Amino acid sequence: MKNDIRCFACGKAHLTKDEVGINKKMLGRDIKQFYCLDCFAEHLDVTTDELLAKIEEFKEQGCTLF
Amino acid sequence: MYSVLTGETMIYADNAATTKISDKAFEKMLPFLQEQYGNASSQYSLGIKAKRAVEQARKQVAEAIGAQPAEITFTSGGSEANNWVLQGVTKLFKGEDIHIITSSIEHHSVLNVCRALETENIKVTYLPVNKNGLVLVDDVISAVKPNTKFVSIMLANNEIGTIQPIAEIGKYLHGKGILFHTDAVQAVGHIPVDINKLHVDFLSASAHKFNGAKGTGFLYKRASVDLPNLVFGGKQEHGYRAGTENVAGIVAAGYAIEENVKEMRKTAERLQAMVQTTVSEIRERIPDVWINGNAELRLPGTVNLGFNGVSGESLMNILDLKGVCVSTSSACNSVNDEPSHVLLALGLSEEQAKSAIRISYGKYNTIEEAEYIASAICDAYSKIKSAI
Repeated sequence: MKNDIRCFACGKAHLTKDEVGINKKMLGRDIKQFYCLDCFAEHLDVTTDELLAKIEEFKEQGCTLF
Repeated sequence: MYSVLTGETMIYADNAATTKISDKAFEKMLPFLQEQYGNASSQYSLGIKAKRAVEQARKQVAEAIGAQPAEITFTSGGSEANNWVLQGVTKLFKGEDIHIITSSIEHHSVLNVCRALETENIKVTYLPVNKNGLVLVDDVISAVKPNTKFVSIMLANNEIGTIQPIAEIGKYLHGKGILFHTDAVQAVGHIPVDINKLHVDFLSASAHKFNGAKGTGFLYKRASVDLPNLVFGGKQEHGYRAGTENVAGIVAAGYAIEENVKEMRKTAERLQAMVQTTVSEIRERIPDVWINGNAELRLPGTVNLGFNGVSGESLMNILDLKGVCVSTSSACNSVNDEPSHVLLALGLSEEQAKSAIRISYGKYNTIEEAEYIASAICDAYSKIKSAI
């Protein structure tokens, strides 16, 4: 089922579980607003590929947010 | 510029977790992995040389803590040493109704053994700490019962770096028929450690915490004290721990501890300056940051900081993206998101405990790195605050 979470920077709809998870890992578990991957990379001043690499690491650790 | 994809350039400030092996220790261990690969129990020259190297390391380790070489048994690390002494001592009193004392902020390799011992009807008192993370000597004295046979209190805490009054506790326990152990994994090679001044019967340490290799540690056992064997088999390690010795790791441990003890004073001064720089620069931009643990009685390179309204896990993850390695004890590694038992023991709320990060500098860090880390922490803090 698609969620109704939008990127609060660009408005992109239906953020993926990975996008929501990386926001929670980087900003805190209780956050109420989320960035899409590209906007989040810009906010953190890193590349999208670097965020994708971190997502893979978190999955390897068994993090249930992803 | 750091890249998480290539791992190029990184600032490592998690030396309480593990340290980089020193160049000298690395150089000295290498021959025992290749051309000098003999088994230390073999009776020909190659084996005799390996045995000689192990005994040389035993002397180096013993000298570093004021012990006799025969009082040192090499183990696989600190956890093994802690497990051995706790389980071994209680075996000495098998069938007796005994009581042991430890603190609530011990490493899990002590706490989890204590919990297992409780299932065998051994009574355990877990002493509290004050808000600075110190075990009070009076609390130890009050906890002693007629059947108390063993006390285990760590020398320096791994999360907050607080140094415990082991010498005072040891002095009190001495001569009372109570065996005394200290988990000195974070202390050995970083602050002066002398088993005679500490009045301990047992002391555990781990080589990779003092710039040796992973997979090697040791237990100091006072010569006059008994302890059942850890591993039955051959006669290695005075018969206490059978199995072919990790010669290369043991050799590295000897040189690493010798080097760290020799450089200790100068290193400690540098580390204190790095911690001071980090804390003062962060405080300029984030005034409500706080230090967890004792501000003075602390390992020179370790500081645990709390940040209002920001999770330590978030800070650690953003710093990781920027190539900075620090630690938080409440990070999710699977399904576990428990706050640190050490920080809770200080009286922190769950939220405060989850807002902490530990920075632990080592001898290879520089003051420039400390400045960079302070700036990176403040930037990460701002990015989190501006997004939540």
